Amino acid sequence: MARVAMEAGKMGPLSMPLTLWRPFSGTWLEGAALVGGVILWEALGWLLAMPWLPPFSKIIGALNQFIQSGVILGNVASSLQGLAIGFGISLIVGLLVGALMGRYRRVEKALDIYVNAFLISPAMIFAPIFFAIFGLSGAVRIAVVIMYSVFVIIMNTATAIRTVDPALVEMASSFGANERQIFLRVLLPASLPLIFAGIRLGMGRAVKGMINGEMLIAMVGLGALAQRYGSQFEASKVFAIAMVVLIIALVCDWIVQTVENRLTSWVD
Amino acid sequence: MIQIRGLSKEFLGRDGAGTGVLAIDSLNFEVRDNEFLTVIGPSGCGKTTLLRIIAGLIPFDDGEVRIDDVPVTGPGPDRAVVFQNFALMPWADVLTNVAFGLEIRGTAKAECEGTAMRLVRLVGLEGFERRLPKELSGGMQQRVGLARALAVNPRILLMDEPFGALDEQTRRLLQEQLLRIWDQERKTVIFITHSMEEAVLLGDRVMLMTPRPGRVKEIIDVPLKRPRGQETEKSTTFVEIKEYLWENLRSMQVLDQRGEA
Repeated sequence: MARVAMEAGKMGPLSMPLTLWRPFSGTWLEGAALVGGVILWEALGWLLAMPWLPPFSKIIGALNQFIQSGVILGNVASSLQGLAIGFGISLIVGLLVGALMGRYRRVEKALDIYVNAFLISPAMIFAPIFFAIFGLSGAVRIAVVIMYSVFVIIMNTATAIRTVDPALVEMASSFGANERQIFLRVLLPASLPLIFAGIRLGMGRAVKGMINGEMLIAMVGLGALAQRYGSQFEASKVFAIAMVVLIIALVCDWIVQTVENRLTSWVD
Repeated sequence: MIQIRGLSKEFLGRDGAGTGVLAIDSLNFEVRDNEFLTVIGPSGCGKTTLLRIIAGLIPFDDGEVRIDDVPVTGPGPDRAVVFQNFALMPWADVLTNVAFGLEIRGTAKAECEGTAMRLVRLVGLEGFERRLPKELSGGMQQRVGLARALAVNPRILLMDEPFGALDEQTRRLLQEQLLRIWDQERKTVIFITHSMEEAVLLGDRVMLMTPRPGRVKEIIDVPLKRPRGQETEKSTTFVEIKEYLWENLRSMQVLDQRGEA
């Protein structure tokens, strides 16, 4: 027994860096930065005792309370529903319009200025208009999510399709490929990496749109919750909601990235 | 037989009208069945344009292009192109790239795979079927390009400076391989090149073109016996034709430089 323990003890420090430690060494600094940030936050929270900067532990407490009371779950579900519908529509419209713009010069010429204008302009400027059209329904939130996310997807998809190596299209034509075959067999796979970059940007913007829409017009879901506690100066609760939003954003991004990695593993 | 009569092609200016460049000016020539025709000329002589017109990839302004008396109006199953920069799909493995032309033409999947496998073997890429293009050397990539063109079993093979992007040693190996394959599977070949050795080594005839506008200067017979190889390049005929090409190309280059000064 003792010998085994000794040998294990000898082996431990040697084998650890080789097998276990190495995969983590890349994320080591990130982890340290995260832990350091939390410690700093906690310390500043107690030291400064400002109402707008509650210690981190209090935020976790508020989060825990939210979960226990079940108030967060319903709101998360409501928010996610708006996000899913809005982003789903953005994805379909964005890919379709983007593909047409990328492939056909005339469509691009006709739509480019509008897509650019909407991409640059702050979506919430149109809040009153959405309000006028949809009233206080959930459709407002969906409209805002679309407004936030669709244009970047259109833009990236159009650029992706337009910049596909013309030699590949010519190659396909030389074998007699028709427009549909060129699109499905060449243009689409070739532009997937750039299209996915747009989808990821769009996803991030969709989460922002969801919260902004909920806070400023729709008054539902997580945004409405944040708005309510914000007006009551309940900083720890606001931060707790912000954390939930952050987690949603990270999970959404992770999903997109996983699909992306599956489909574009050929990229260097 | 490929017949080219009075073929002209003008590239329009940026504004889409007027002051265009005459890339090809009233070409006349014929390519016999199973003939290996190499085309050589300085840059700007329209040799790539000519190839793309025969492939049916771009329209032309004047004259006619006929294959067995049928006018060319677009790409067709009787022709396949090998491209200078390979034009392989980077997301698809070797087998999928080789099978691409067959799949586009609606061949059944099992047959696609079988034919593609046979051609992968023919060009000596056995064992690399599942590799991506980026994992292959330039020479191997062009062998994929050649296999893809041969897979659709065209009667006419159009090759646009296929070995131009490769280093000297790789190029020589591929020339030998191409000649071996051409010996087994006779096809009409139009082969664009800027290498005089390559033009003489491969061609039954060498078509010499002049630049701006592209015209046929001369079509030179290459009476060297086949199979050709390293020994061929030492023969007097080979050297003479090569020298003759150089004299002509040299004077064109000199004229060209004066013209631009």
